[in-house]
Amino acid sequence: MITIDEITIVIDGREIIYDYSEQIPAGSITVIVGPNGCGKSTLLAAIAGDIAPDKGTITIDDLHPILTSPLELSRIRAMAVQNQSFTLGFTVRQIIEMAGDADLVIEQLALGEIVDRLVTTLSGGEAQRVAIAQAIAQNTSVLLLDEPFAAQDIYSRGRIIQLLKELAEEGKTIVVVAHSSESELSWADKVIKQFH
Amino acid sequence: MKKTVPIVLLILVAVGAMSVGSSQIDGFWSVLINPGSNEIVWQIRFPRVMAALIVGAALGIAGLMAQGACNNAVAEPAILGTAAGASFGAVIGIATGLVQVGSLGALACGTAGALLATSITFRLAAFRGALSSFTLIIVGIAVSAIFTSLVGITSAVLNRADARSILFWSLGSLALVTNENLIGIIITTLVGGIVAWSIAPKLDRLSLGDQSAFHLGVNVSRVRFFALISLSLLAGGAVSTVGVIAFIGLAAPHIARFIYGPSHRALTIQSAFVGALIVLVADTLSRTIAQPNELPIGLATALIGAPILIALVTVKNNVWRTQ
Repeated sequence: MITIDEITIVIDGREIIYDYSEQIPAGSITVIVGPNGCGKSTLLAAIAGDIAPDKGTITIDDLHPILTSPLELSRIRAMAVQNQSFTLGFTVRQIIEMAGDADLVIEQLALGEIVDRLVTTLSGGEAQRVAIAQAIAQNTSVLLLDEPFAAQDIYSRGRIIQLLKELAEEGKTIVVVAHSSESELSWADKVIKQFH
Repeated sequence: MKKTVPIVLLILVAVGAMSVGSSQIDGFWSVLINPGSNEIVWQIRFPRVMAALIVGAALGIAGLMAQGACNNAVAEPAILGTAAGASFGAVIGIATGLVQVGSLGALACGTAGALLATSITFRLAAFRGALSSFTLIIVGIAVSAIFTSLVGITSAVLNRADARSILFWSLGSLALVTNENLIGIIITTLVGGIVAWSIAPKLDRLSLGDQSAFHLGVNVSRVRFFALISLSLLAGGAVSTVGVIAFIGLAAPHIARFIYGPSHRALTIQSAFVGALIVLVADTLSRTIAQPNELPIGLATALIGAPILIALVTVKNNVWRTQ
């Protein structure tokens, strides 16, 4: 369970999120949706522990992300960032194995054909799937995905959504940031559109 | 088998380097198996060959730490201010009469100077928040220029004998290294190398960017701090012993990466090997091809390393992608 309690986040003098509270139950898929610049990625980053709220608190199962060590935090939440960049020529398998066991997620996301390719040679969509695979391989109770469908075709999008449903059924708490153009959200247990 | 090839190659080149020079050694092989039996081989060439191997290894790993910690393909001790800081530290120690060129004291001063300059670079580059690679390089070049100027000014006010000694050393030369000088640089290289080895897996994750590395459990600032310590020990020790040898810190990790792949733990060994090999070959050429004159080693390291690097970058360019 993720508890967001009256948080305010100010960036460069602008209130991105103001006095916002929310409860995200375990074993569910929550989608944060909205136009560019509305603060949805900021909210996800705050849940991940990347940024500290200026006011209020966020807890993941009673742990405060910003007060938890990076190592301990990496055991309870994983996150795939938007536009993951790969500068060094590791193989897809090596990148996923940085987080944990790779075999199952390679099969689940149908990455078999690219598993031995260097990540520096991947297309945007492939790189995004590898970043998602890495986050899933981390095998944490909370999974955070920032615009995972931005560069995916319909087939890949469907495969990712199916996998997220299976992971939620296993008890994982999944939070996905999606662009407002994402119209079909029936797969989500909860949709957040406003955080003011 | 694959792992033993570099070691055998290094030993063969080292033996070859000890066999050549301005003086012909009669019965070289019997001299070689009797340590101390010939003064030229064991008191002059041996420390020089050993220094080339250790300095090359140190600069190779130092470059790897610089590139890994900054996640930047052009980072190296000379660009981050580390080498200039080491020169400054050693020169200040010598100028104040506290230490002598090549001594353990000079090495300590050099390492402290390297740490100071590199810390300033990192601190200023992160002044406005997250560490930007572009800012880091610009600030590093500026910090390097400041410390290089300070070295020049300090040298200018010294007496002539000390100034000449510093000038010779600052151009980069292994000619004055003795067996006694090796102790200090062996210590700094071993400690720096062990620190590099221990943080290597975290540098793999850091290549995904600070944010993704943090998500994978890496304490980014702590890893950078240890990379900075390793870099300063390695480059500081090398520079304070033999002066500034350009290009190795940049080229050795890249050449190793092109051959062996990007894993930092393997690269800690392979960058050391490539750096050691280039410096040893370069030093041997610099003291033999224009006898009785000796060329500055930096000329030879660039002439050997640059074509290899250019060839690898143009043929196989998927190893490091710049955004």
